[in-house]
Amino acid sequence: MLDLIWLLPAFPLAGFLILAFTGGGLPKPVVATVGAGSIGLAFIVAALSSYEFLSSGQTSFQLTLWEWMAAGDFSSAFSFYLDGLTVVMILVISGVGFLIHLYSTGYMSDDPGYSRFFAYMNLFVAAMLVLVLADNLVLLYLGWEGVGLCSYLLIGFWYENPANGYAARKAFVVTRVGDTSMALGLFLLFTQLGTLNIQELMHNAGQQWQVGSGMAVAASLLLLGGAVGKSAQLPLQTWLPDAMAGPTPISALIHAATMVTAGVYLIARTHLLFELAPTVQSLVAWVGLITLLMAGFTALTQHDIKRILAYSTISQIGYMFLGLGVGAWSAAVFHLMTHAFFKALLFLAAGSVILSLHHEQSIFKMGGLRKHLPVSFWSFIVGSAALTALPLTSGYFSKDEILLAALESGGSGTLLWLGGVIGALFTAIYSFRLVFVVFFGECHHPAKEVSGWNMTAPLVVLGVLALLGGWIHIPVDAVFSHGEMAHEEAHPSLFIHALMIAIPIIGVGISYLFFCSRTWSAEKLVQSGLGAALHKFWFSGWGMDRLYQAVFVTPFVSLARLNRKDIIDLLIGLLVTLTSQANRLLVRTQTGYLRWYAASVMAGVIILIAIGALL
Amino acid sequence: METAITIQDLVPLLPVLVVTGVAVLAMLLIALKRNHTLIGATTIIGLGLALITAFLVLPFAGQQVTPLLMIDNFSLFFTIVILLAAGFIAVFSFPYLYHLKDEVEEYYLLLLIATIGALIMVSSNHFLSAFLGLETLSISLYAMIAYPLHSKEAVKFPVEASLKYLVLSAVSSALILFGIALLYAQTGSLQFTELAMTGGSVADGYFITALVLLFAGVGFKLSLAPFHMWTPDVYEGAPLPATMYLATVGKAAMMVLLLRFVVASQALSFHSVVVVIGCMAVLSILAGNLLALVQENLKRILAYSSIAHMGYLLIALIALDDASTRLGVEAISFYLIAYIVMSLGAFGVATVISSSEKEFDFVADYQGLFWREPWLALLLTAMLLSLAGIPLTVGFIGKFYVVLAGVEGSLWGLLLVLVVGSGISIYYYLRIVYRMLLQPQLDQAYREAGWDSIGSYAVLALLLALLLLLGVYPGFLMSIIEVVSVSI
Repeated sequence: MLDLIWLLPAFPLAGFLILAFTGGGLPKPVVATVGAGSIGLAFIVAALSSYEFLSSGQTSFQLTLWEWMAAGDFSSAFSFYLDGLTVVMILVISGVGFLIHLYSTGYMSDDPGYSRFFAYMNLFVAAMLVLVLADNLVLLYLGWEGVGLCSYLLIGFWYENPANGYAARKAFVVTRVGDTSMALGLFLLFTQLGTLNIQELMHNAGQQWQVGSGMAVAASLLLLGGAVGKSAQLPLQTWLPDAMAGPTPISALIHAATMVTAGVYLIARTHLLFELAPTVQSLVAWVGLITLLMAGFTALTQHDIKRILAYSTISQIGYMFLGLGVGAWSAAVFHLMTHAFFKALLFLAAGSVILSLHHEQSIFKMGGLRKHLPVSFWSFIVGSAALTALPLTSGYFSKDEILLAALESGGSGTLLWLGGVIGALFTAIYSFRLVFVVFFGECHHPAKEVSGWNMTAPLVVLGVLALLGGWIHIPVDAVFSHGEMAHEEAHPSLFIHALMIAIPIIGVGISYLFFCSRTWSAEKLVQSGLGAALHKFWFSGWGMDRLYQAVFVTPFVSLARLNRKDIIDLLIGLLVTLTSQANRLLVRTQTGYLRWYAASVMAGVIILIAIGALL
Repeated sequence: METAITIQDLVPLLPVLVVTGVAVLAMLLIALKRNHTLIGATTIIGLGLALITAFLVLPFAGQQVTPLLMIDNFSLFFTIVILLAAGFIAVFSFPYLYHLKDEVEEYYLLLLIATIGALIMVSSNHFLSAFLGLETLSISLYAMIAYPLHSKEAVKFPVEASLKYLVLSAVSSALILFGIALLYAQTGSLQFTELAMTGGSVADGYFITALVLLFAGVGFKLSLAPFHMWTPDVYEGAPLPATMYLATVGKAAMMVLLLRFVVASQALSFHSVVVVIGCMAVLSILAGNLLALVQENLKRILAYSSIAHMGYLLIALIALDDASTRLGVEAISFYLIAYIVMSLGAFGVATVISSSEKEFDFVADYQGLFWREPWLALLLTAMLLSLAGIPLTVGFIGKFYVVLAGVEGSLWGLLLVLVVGSGISIYYYLRIVYRMLLQPQLDQAYREAGWDSIGSYAVLALLLALLLLLGVYPGFLMSIIEVVSVSI
């Protein structure tokens, strides 16, 4: 079975090829079967091979398909690598991916681009699987760029609206900054360590570089650049809220569950490198903390249901970065998984709400939907509980692990922990703000649930996973065994435990007082001077868009205006003029007169003899 | 020196003898009964027979037949190439001439006689046979170019083209003869190798003058600048099959002869001769490509393009100067075959839609060809891309070997010109492809494809297959060329 893991990306790829080359000519049931079925098959392969891998007791498995390219010392193979971390990733990608595909067969059923949608989705899953299965960084980069492309295509899926195209471009360009940094990192690693095979790379790095050496810092910084781009962390987080322009299942699959966590995967995959550069590693933690706080505050002020979830995603990935930064590798991966469950659940439930209200996305135009949309309501309750990390939900276990690891990491760990706890408080407030505003209070628009079984079933399964996912033990011990000894010993005091259980509940309480019982008025808070300013500032995402506009976009655009005539083009134009002038000159010699031709032959002979005689 | 011809001498000459026999047979048949199909079939079958005998006499290769002809692997290789090309052209000629309201049978006679001349040329290592072969070829061509004499609509100026070619070709033959005479006066021999033996003993200036005269005459036949001006006029004026013959067989035979002469005589040991050929190469590449730039007549474009291609070949010829002789010979041999395939294909597409009644030789006539005749448009596109040297085609491999030979010889300046010229050439090749993709102008009535064109389409398909096959797996042909080029 393990030799067949190549089928894992092959099924979705085949689905993409079928859908792409039939060009929308297939009937919808066939499209749905091919689109969702290919991912279902991939999940079966993933489940069987994971089972076999885990029961065999191996720590890793490698499968080389063929040599991809070779030039000089460099060679790269199409080669897959399976270990505990990969097992988690492929199960999440194909499992959650399948549920979202199934949901999409209902959600997108009225869309004219049905077939195109599933073609892109399948291509995305194939690329994402290549990314996590890759044995070397070049193949990983192929998957990395592949998911970026699909993300671009799917954000701009409804391309008739120029705003969607703009959002897609923004996502593409901003992540490209990170991708460039990552490519530079790859070049650096290859020139320094002579290989791009991840395992060899980690081994060679450990041999050749001292802890804290300049090269290790540079290489891990460059990789971190790629990770923050893909995972929408500071300073490259600005693209993700706009990426919500795509259909909601896309937001669930790409911009919540899988692609945006690729940065977390990359760092976890190359964690040995980050351990060689402790300064960069603590930078990862601080990036995570600042991002999670900023995004948390912003989520509090948004009123578009998908943007709230988008900022929440940024914030939760911040937690994962925080975990990575304090060396809690497996906790970060654990949170990646539970986040995939509950955030996919929230997005899909949000999709159901949006669809029931005919594409209304502002939460203040919703309200009192508890009775009308029971499935969505309960999905939101479960999902928000997990997001808030209420006890015994999946989010509680994973977030707890990260925060405890931060506390125990020493140094500035206490500060990181404190920040994380404050973030958790705000998480509780903004997620239940969403629940209370949308599902309680007055009902503005009576709505009817529009879901067949194919939309309800994924919600139920994801709901169960979001509730109980915390009991899953992820098999990554062997992968991270060298880094985590310290945490096993520590026992935090009872007070800490109690505080961490209490904080989310307090948050929910605050949220209740503000947004459900209306005991406290959020409006008054926002109208006061400082409150209004803060609200405006947070609502704009801390002014990052305006900052980038002023620092990068405007100067670039004015530079482009300045060069409207294009200096390079002028040079090339000169070449054209030169050529056509030469042509005009030569054409004159083609007179058609025999006497002229004969004369030119004789003149040519004389000149050539002269040249021959003189030289 | 033994000059009597024995039976053993006749065996390697069999291909030439077969073609001669077929020519005589065709003449007798015409006298008995004029029948286009019969004569056409006789010609094609006769050329096929000659081809078979060329394969059969391969074991007898390496024989000097009289002091005049050298039948070795190399000459037999090009005998095969020329017989194939001549056969293909005969196939293309048949439907083209089918509707000509005139006597058409003698055309095949001329084609056969021209082929005899070309076969003699590729086997010569003596000035006498070389000149005889050249004149046999040329004189037949004068008549072939003027052939649709009485047809009013047909081609525009066949007589004018023929006359221009006749006069200028006579001038160039005179130059060649003068060069030969000067060489003979010094060395007392007409053998190519004689020059190499007596080289150093005579004043250089004398030899150089003789060689430049010789190269000027040959340059005219190969349409090299500055002796190129006749090319577009003659190409345009001649009927398509004759143009095709002139462009492929005529040039290839001349180039093989030149190659043999240069290798045998070591003419390139004179530095100034190298300079003169280098000048001709640069001028040909630039003039050919620049002149084709805005040209609207397909035949003229191909004429200019052939000027440039012959210029590329000269680079490989100059590379012979270096110790790495073999590479230059191989590059020229491969390029010639590539050139024949692409030219036959490009002219062939024009031939199958044209007839002696009406020729389609303006680029505008091909506008929208892609929508009307997708396969023909695809074929022409492939041929043009190959002429431009785009990878996966035989033209790319050919150019690659020429560049390789140039690099081995460190001819950086000439290679730069080649690159510039190739860059310019892409414009006018792609311009035709672009026009084929535009909306069609439906007022152009191409010739209906009847039973008489089946052969032409088969040959076109074969040419396309060769173009791609040799473009992807050149190793097969190259290994043959490596073997045969040892003998010169």
